[in-house]
Amino acid sequence: MSSQTALQTAEELLKPYAMEMIKQEEDFRLDVLLSPDQLHEAVKALHDARWGYLSAIAGVDHPAPVIGEDANASGTVQEKGKESQVEVLYVFCQGAAVLVLRLKVPYTHAELPTVCDLIPSATLYERELMEMFGVEIHGTPVKDRLLLPDEWPEGVYPLRKATIIGTTRSGSEE
Amino acid sequence: METRKSSEKFVVPIGPQHPALKEPGHFEFTVDGEIVTGASVRLGYVHRGIEKGAEDRTWTQNIYLLERICGICSHVHATAYVLGVEKLAGVSAPPRAQAIRTVTAELERIHSHLLWLGVAAHEGGFDTLFMYSWRDRETVMDLLELISGNRVHYSTNVLGGVKYDLDTEKMDAIRRGLDFLEERTHHYMKVVTTDETFLARTRGVGLMTREQAEALGAVGPTARASSVRRDIRIDAPYAAYPDFPVKLITDDGGDLLARFVVRLKELFESYRVIRAILDQMPEGELTTRVPRRIPAGEVISRVEAPRGELFYYIKSNGGEKPERIKVRTPSLCNWGTVVSVAVGHKLADMPMLLAGIDPCFSCNDRMVRINRGQGAQFWSWENLRQYGIEYYR
Repeated sequence: MSSQTALQTAEELLKPYAMEMIKQEEDFRLDVLLSPDQLHEAVKALHDARWGYLSAIAGVDHPAPVIGEDANASGTVQEKGKESQVEVLYVFCQGAAVLVLRLKVPYTHAELPTVCDLIPSATLYERELMEMFGVEIHGTPVKDRLLLPDEWPEGVYPLRKATIIGTTRSGSEE
Repeated sequence: METRKSSEKFVVPIGPQHPALKEPGHFEFTVDGEIVTGASVRLGYVHRGIEKGAEDRTWTQNIYLLERICGICSHVHATAYVLGVEKLAGVSAPPRAQAIRTVTAELERIHSHLLWLGVAAHEGGFDTLFMYSWRDRETVMDLLELISGNRVHYSTNVLGGVKYDLDTEKMDAIRRGLDFLEERTHHYMKVVTTDETFLARTRGVGLMTREQAEALGAVGPTARASSVRRDIRIDAPYAAYPDFPVKLITDDGGDLLARFVVRLKELFESYRVIRAILDQMPEGELTTRVPRRIPAGEVISRVEAPRGELFYYIKSNGGEKPERIKVRTPSLCNWGTVVSVAVGHKLADMPMLLAGIDPCFSCNDRMVRINRGQGAQFWSWENLRQYGIEYYR
């Protein structure tokens, strides 16, 4: 299967679930915007069709734009109508074809279903996402700390933009 | 990650210090007599905060930071990064630069595979093979030092090209080195496939079918030894690989022996490709200009590291620093295979199984651990030497 046809197959598979699809022909890349409740179904569709493999799960933090100068890590004054979000990218690859499932979850409701029942190897990626971005993965088989030290405080997610290493670990010495 | 079945069984903790390898990781093997019935892994002991740190450094500074993710495959990290940034900036390095990148990458693969061969032999109790392969590995280390002046962090890449040129003299030195290594590799191939004692430790051990390898997300030689046809150099060629294609090496054995065979065969392929590039080295510039601010956008950059697919996600918001860099290293993918395959094997096979995936802890432990409050200290060579003498007195 050439990369071009692989992408077409992926497009057809994901059509029922996608909110939007963005194609970049030259890079053999297809970005599919999903709502979090469609994630499991979409991954299942890919899995059942044996489309590619899960190459990585990447988190990207999108803090709401801050207005006002008294901004600090915990009590920021935020622009109305904009909410801090974490964007999660599930990157699937087949040959040169790259398929990115993009989901956005707000801080206040940062939850996603696990895909480990379909792709067992996702467990490490999901654990990393939980630790680094504070996205709760429902149903993931193991929730133990993977990378952060045992004494790392709860609720501090290092890869969120608001976390500035060296100052947020209040109460524990560096 | 856990496949532990009962809490009543005896648990053997291995690590975090020196779990068969000279890097930290913690494993818990549940055993029933000699047989492993469950395994779990805890990583993060060399977690250094690199992804977070990358957000606070300029595009150029990050080359040096990302190269330090790994002390074995440093060049391939920088390559994945610069290829991605160049794509975002809409430039591409000149052909000669791409060729030199590829030569360095393949030399790095040779050094990495030979290093692995030694470590794996050592874990199998075959220390003679370990010493010979590491002696021979010095040949390729010397070549890398000849090109770049460094043995570990070659710093060959810059944004838009490479720093070092290869002149005729260096190319001849590389050719001579490869001739020697090729001869040695034939010998190693013979040893690992015919030595009965060693075969007893590898044949049929750690068997992983193609279906398992795919389900567990294995990459690189570990996957290819279970006949998974996946190699980024072939699937999505980058740098000079479109002009100098490599052959896909797979084996359908699926056991430790197959992992030896695949890596050794890949060495021959590396020798061939390097020679091909040297014979047809493109002429021209070494660098092209890259703007200081990288246009907003995001890119996914994938390269084939010695251990398998290395994944970079790079996002720019148009500034002098990246917005986000995500690194997914091949070792992380391969852990799942060890923990699953371990079950049913003897405890004594664990070091070999661990070494079999060629794990690299520094690679998969990255992001957050910053030590402060300890004054930086500079040690001269003489200081270090003195310290060593005192320490072992």
